[in-house]
Amino acid sequence: MTVRPPITRTGSIYDLGYRRYEGPRLGRAHAIWSLIGHSFRSTYGIGRGGRSKIAPFVFGGMAVLPAVVIVGVLTIATRFGAERAMEQMQVVSFGNYFSAVNAIIALFCAAQAPELFGRDQRHGVLPLYFARALRRTDYAIGRLVGFWIGVLALLMTPMIILFVGKVFLSTDIAGAFGDNLPNLPPVLAQAIVISALYGGLAMAISAYTPRRAYATAGIIAMFVLPGLVTGIVIGIGSSGIGTALTLVAPNTVIDGTNALFFGRELGAEYFFIDLPIGAFLVSAVVEVAIVVALIVRRFQRITT
Amino acid sequence: MTLIATQALTKRYGSSILALDELTFELEPGIIGLVGSNGAGKSTLLKILLGLLEPTSGSATVFDLDVATQGLAIRERVGYMPEHDCLPPDVSATDTVAHLAEISGLPRTAARERTAEVLRHVGLYEERYRAIGGYSTGMRQRVKLAQALVHDPRLLFLDEPTNGLDPAGRDEMLELIRRTGTEFGIAVVVASHLLGEIERVCDHLVAIEDGKLLRNAPLGAFTERTGTLAVEVEDGRDRLAERLTGRGLRVAADGPAILVDLVDETPFDVVRDTVVELGLSLVRMEQRRHRLEDLFRDGPESGSGATVPPAPTPAGPVR
Repeated sequence: MTVRPPITRTGSIYDLGYRRYEGPRLGRAHAIWSLIGHSFRSTYGIGRGGRSKIAPFVFGGMAVLPAVVIVGVLTIATRFGAERAMEQMQVVSFGNYFSAVNAIIALFCAAQAPELFGRDQRHGVLPLYFARALRRTDYAIGRLVGFWIGVLALLMTPMIILFVGKVFLSTDIAGAFGDNLPNLPPVLAQAIVISALYGGLAMAISAYTPRRAYATAGIIAMFVLPGLVTGIVIGIGSSGIGTALTLVAPNTVIDGTNALFFGRELGAEYFFIDLPIGAFLVSAVVEVAIVVALIVRRFQRITT
Repeated sequence: MTLIATQALTKRYGSSILALDELTFELEPGIIGLVGSNGAGKSTLLKILLGLLEPTSGSATVFDLDVATQGLAIRERVGYMPEHDCLPPDVSATDTVAHLAEISGLPRTAARERTAEVLRHVGLYEERYRAIGGYSTGMRQRVKLAQALVHDPRLLFLDEPTNGLDPAGRDEMLELIRRTGTEFGIAVVVASHLLGEIERVCDHLVAIEDGKLLRNAPLGAFTERTGTLAVEVEDGRDRLAERLTGRGLRVAADGPAILVDLVDETPFDVVRDTVVELGLSLVRMEQRRHRLEDLFRDGPESGSGATVPPAPTPAGPVR
C-alpha cells in the first residue's frame, strides 16, 4: 500500500500573494534615465502597436535612403573604375546631406514630437509621473532629451552609412579613412544643432498643444512660414528685417551653422546678410535655450 | 507614528472657489476612508498630500515629512491611483506598469518581476500583454491599482477606486483594498463619495464637506450607540416623562417618543419599572445609533447627543 505524501499548500505556488520589495531603489537619476530611454523608444514607436511605427520608420527610411543609394551607386562606379569621376560630380555628400533631407527631418519631428508630450497629456498620464519620485522638470527634460537622441540617431545613421561605404569601397581603405575622417566632427556638430533646434521646437509646440493634429500642423507651419516670410520681406527690399528673420527661422539658422561647420560661404540667396557667420550658431544656442525654458515652464505650471 | 497631519490646510482655486478650508487633522496608519460628496475637496487634499498641488496656506506632513519641501521623499514611499483615466491605450499593462516601476527607481529586472507579481495580485493574467485600449473598466482600474502598488509603497492614495465598476467589480476592488491594508501592512487612504463602500473596508474615517472637516474618528465612533434611549408608549407619554424626570432622569420629547439620556445602565430598569407602575403599554424601547449618512444630513455638529438623527435603526423593539 502506498502512502500519499501529505498535501502541503500546493495552491500557493500559483498565488504567492503580495510580497515586499526589499531590493535596491535607484532614485531620481535612474528615473530620469529610464524616462530618456522610454522617450527614445517611443520616438520610433517601439513598445507600441505596429501603427505607431509607420510614421517614424517611413520618414526615417526616407532620410536614410539617399545615403544607401549613394553607397550603392559608388559600389557600381567602383566596379567600373569610375569612382574618381563620381567624386568630382559632388552629388550629395557630408557637407550638404542634411540640407537635402531637411524637409524629411522636419516632417519626422512634426509627426513624432506629439507622440511624447501630447500623448501624456491627452491620456492623463502626467499624474502617474508626477506622483513618483521625479520632479516636473526632470520629466520635461527626460522626455526632451530622449527625443533629441531619437532625432540625432535619425541624422547620424545615413552619415555612418555614407562614411562606412566610402571607406570600405575604396581601394586604399586606410587612406580613405584618413580622407573622410575630418568630415565627422562637422557632421556631428551639425547633427547636434539640427536635433537640438528642430527637435526642441517641435517638442515645445507639442508640449503646449495636446491635440495631436494641431501640434503637427503647428510644427510644420513653424518650419515653413518663416522661410516664406523672409522671402517676401527680402523681395520687398528690407534687408534689416530680412536679416533678423533669417537669424530666427530654423531652416536658415541651420543653413548658417552648416556653412560655419563645413567652412563654406553662405549661399547666394543670403546676399543681404552682413554678419559674421558665427551669429547663426549663437542664434541656434539662444533659440534652444528659450525652447528648453518654455518646455520646463509648461510642465511646472500644468495642472494635473 | 503619525501618518498624515495637516494644519489649517487651505486651498483656493482663483478667488472664488475654496476647495479646502482650514483643514486640521491627524491620522494614524490604517485603512482610512476619506468621505465627502463630489466636490467636497477629497481629490484636492490627496493631490496636496502628494505634492502635486501647492496649498494656498497651511501645512501638511506625510510620514512627518513636509509636503511643501520634501515632496520627493514622500512620493518615493507613496502610491497614487488617480480618479480619472490615466493609461495610454496602445501599450500593454505589463509595459506600462514596468515603465512606471522604473520611474519609481526600481532596476529594470526588478521592475519586470514586480510588475508580473503585482498584476497577478490584482487579478490580471494573460490579458496583461494586450494593449490597454481593449480593456474593460474593471481591468483598467486594476492596472491603475497595480501601478500604484508596483514599487511597494508604505502608503496608498486611492481616489474613487470603484468608479465605473459593476457590483461584482466593486466587491473585488474593495476586497483587494482591504487585503492590501490588512495583510500587507500598507496604509491606505481611500477617497470615495460612497459611504456604504467605505464602511466595508475602512477602520478610520475622515469626513469632509465643502472643504471643511466634519469628523475624524475611528469607524466605530461613527456608528456607535449614542447616549439616548427612545421610549414609546401607547398613552400617557407626558405622565411617563413627568415621572421619569421626577426620578432624576433627563428627558426630552420627540414626536410620540420620549428620549432619555443614557449616562449608565440604570435608566433601562428605571424606565421599565416606571412603565409598570403607571400601567402603560410599552410600544418600543431602543437605543439610538448614529448612521454614516447623518453626517451629511446634520452638518458638523452631529456628533453630540443633542441632535440625534430621527431615523432609528431597527434594533430590537421591546414589547
